[in-house]
Amino acid sequence: MVEERIRSQSESRRVSSALLLETHGLTRHFGGLAAVNRVDLRVAEGEIVGLIGPNGAGKTTCFNLLSGFIRPTAGTIRFDGEDITRLRPHQVVKRGLVRTFQLTTLFQELTGLENVLLGLHLHSRRSLGRALFSRRRFPPDEVARSREVLEFTGLASQADQLARNLPHGHQRVLGIAMALAARPRLLLLDEPVTGMNLDESGRVMALVKTIRDRGVTVLLVEHNMKAVMGTCERIVVLNFGQTLAEGSPAEVSTNAKVIEAYLGAGLAHARG
Amino acid sequence: MTPDLLIQSTIIGLSIGSIYILMALGLTLMFGMMHIINFAHGAIYMLGAFAIYYIFSQWGAPYFAAFVLAMLLLGTFGYLVERSIYRPIKGGIEPTLVALLALTTFLQAAGYPVFGQLDKHVPPVFQGTRNILGVMISVERLMIIPMAGALVVGLYLFINKTKMGAAMRAIEQDKEAAALQGVNVHVVNGLAFAIGFALAAASGALMAPIFKLDPMMGEQPLLKAFIIIILGGLGSIPGAILGGLMLGLIDSIVATALGAEPAFLLSFVFIILLLLFKPTGLFGYAPP
Amino acid sequence: MRRLRVGVLIVLGLLLLLVPQLGGDYYVHVFALVFTNVILAASLRPSLTCGQLNIGHSAFMSVGAYASALLAKNLAVPFEVSMLCGALLAAVVGLAIGYPSLRLRGVYFAMVTVAFVEVIRLIAQLWVPLTRGMSGLSGIPKPNLLGVTLATKASQYYLALFLMLLTLLILWKLESSRLGLIWKSIGMADNLAQSLGVNIANHKLLAFMLGCFFAGVAGAFYAHFIRFLFPPEFGFLMATNILVYNYVGGRGHFAGPIVGAAFLSLLSEPFRGSAYETIFFSIAMLLTILFLPGGLITLPGKLAELRWWKSASAHSPSPAA
Repeated sequence: MVEERIRSQSESRRVSSALLLETHGLTRHFGGLAAVNRVDLRVAEGEIVGLIGPNGAGKTTCFNLLSGFIRPTAGTIRFDGEDITRLRPHQVVKRGLVRTFQLTTLFQELTGLENVLLGLHLHSRRSLGRALFSRRRFPPDEVARSREVLEFTGLASQADQLARNLPHGHQRVLGIAMALAARPRLLLLDEPVTGMNLDESGRVMALVKTIRDRGVTVLLVEHNMKAVMGTCERIVVLNFGQTLAEGSPAEVSTNAKVIEAYLGAGLAHARG
Repeated sequence: MTPDLLIQSTIIGLSIGSIYILMALGLTLMFGMMHIINFAHGAIYMLGAFAIYYIFSQWGAPYFAAFVLAMLLLGTFGYLVERSIYRPIKGGIEPTLVALLALTTFLQAAGYPVFGQLDKHVPPVFQGTRNILGVMISVERLMIIPMAGALVVGLYLFINKTKMGAAMRAIEQDKEAAALQGVNVHVVNGLAFAIGFALAAASGALMAPIFKLDPMMGEQPLLKAFIIIILGGLGSIPGAILGGLMLGLIDSIVATALGAEPAFLLSFVFIILLLLFKPTGLFGYAPP
Repeated sequence: MRRLRVGVLIVLGLLLLLVPQLGGDYYVHVFALVFTNVILAASLRPSLTCGQLNIGHSAFMSVGAYASALLAKNLAVPFEVSMLCGALLAAVVGLAIGYPSLRLRGVYFAMVTVAFVEVIRLIAQLWVPLTRGMSGLSGIPKPNLLGVTLATKASQYYLALFLMLLTLLILWKLESSRLGLIWKSIGMADNLAQSLGVNIANHKLLAFMLGCFFAGVAGAFYAHFIRFLFPPEFGFLMATNILVYNYVGGRGHFAGPIVGAAFLSLLSEPFRGSAYETIFFSIAMLLTILFLPGGLITLPGKLAELRWWKSASAHSPSPAA
């Protein structure tokens, strides 16, 4: 039934399998203000979904809710059929829902390789005994796996550089590489290409498509409309914490309400 | 406990509570704006008391003049600390806390050679006792309540009715946005330091005629103020006032019944339990 | 470079082994206390690396000291057992304090630990039947290790040296393992660490309890070495001193607290216990934070940089010339 609803909302949506993420009436108040208000979000396995909206529309709050960094005031979040509404961030990650951060949130004083190794944290065998008696800092298989991820994201040559010495574009990609190391099933990307030039953003968006083709579902927040329209198969528009519209890039970009929200009432009126 | 004793310890609790409130208000104000805890607060309390000792009882200035002068001097000191310690550290919370700790130990230790090894006493400012509900209370203790009350009201008016106060509230809400709107964050932070220090000095100045003076005298009130802001929720001004009143009363009544030290141990156990079950403080204030 | 460093460490180790032969009882006493300070400083580091300001480390030393002293004095428990019990008790007490406060903003933890120093002091002061209160606990037996009583100061010195090296080895192994990397990651960006699946509350707690354990070890040794415990000794001043060692030595490297503790305790030895010691420590701390944020361990690098820059500008002609 849910499948049908999605299909009716978006004809161009890839016909795909099961629903991976589903929120129901997701709401979060800050003081008296509803930053996110009764949002029903659905992401099916294998999709690339864009979450857009003007500043202050509640996109980042949405990400913080989905990843467990803040608790919703009301509503539920289901991931792969399981209720994850009340889970803490590290528990959410364990289930395969991994996020990145806006701007360059990295471990600045560690190398690229170490950053990715930390992403592998979850899948490592860790024990105090091993820490005390092993001569090696990291098992070779984990180092190999981290180098693979760096290779895949095009950062292989920068493995031993401190994160803070990397150029801006590479820092952003490193953030994605770390998330990939945590083996996500659903990747939440928070503004992956904001502030990049055309060339850089094109490469990152191509990377996002490759990631999806390897079986990872992607939900991304982004202000760069060209990148969003060119990559996402389905777009959800938020405004004042509520869902304003939902559909294919073509549908959304011609939706009068969306244009109004972005450009202000005057312009939309002139058009209509 | 007899009813008389209860009334007496309630009134004494109110007067101690007002001191705690002054201390906690400065701490919570500075926390709200800069997310730091002023560990030097106790040392400033001590300096406020010693300022009264020198200006009032040694040099013979009128008490109120000495009181205002103590607040002005230490307020200026607060502004200088912002300029010379907080600002150069550029918002690093942990180094700031450590630097303030170092400032505290410095002021305490330097107090011994500067003020002398012997405890100091300030002669009473207000003479006599007053009969309240059949219990005799010294006017000295009683006067603390209106004086601290006036400062709290003054602070309230300043924060809510003046342009500077509006700038402080703006920074508390969102520092970047406030800076974009033309608020000079440095100056306002300096002001917060000055107000916090002045309030701590006022607390010490009010207590000077009641307790003996020594360089370590600020440690207890500081710890009490910590307990209050955890009780009331970090950054909450109403929380600091209610928490201060509560702790003052509990302190005075429990201390009369059991002694001061068990009262402190009990309040510590209480805040640990509070953090365990209701980390946002008694009044449910969620820190931003 | 690496060979040079190993060489320096070996020479230093040999010198430390020879202190009882070369110096008198005075040096033995001073150095044993320096070793205790090194244990305390190094054991604060895991918590600091996680970005958690523990301003009450002396309280956990006090727990270890009293527990070990009372077990040995009243029940004739051998040192190795009483020390372990003291250290474990310190860690358990750390759990009780850390669990509620470490899940919140860092300043909560800082405030709770400061208040806890006072709590432990008051307990030691008020529980007179057990601790003798303000008369102080005296008559603590000398360390009795594996059935042998270490009667001479020199033998106790070697015990302190051994305990310090063992502590440093364990802490070093942990810091250079994945666990250490996780601590660093929490200190640098705890939200990012969380988003990669790190249970930051548990890791902060583990790092803190580990520190409490070794503070307990230091306390136990101190109790059987000085053989007299007095509640106000483990106060706020000692707690800040432990922080000062870390900051003045340098936060960026494992050697930081070791250098800081050794340097400051030796330098302040002439006026130990006076107000001037505290004045010296607090000024050293303020100057370090303001002018050498990386601490003493970054000093050689900074000097080398300076010399390189000077000689470079002196030798190479300026482009304009």
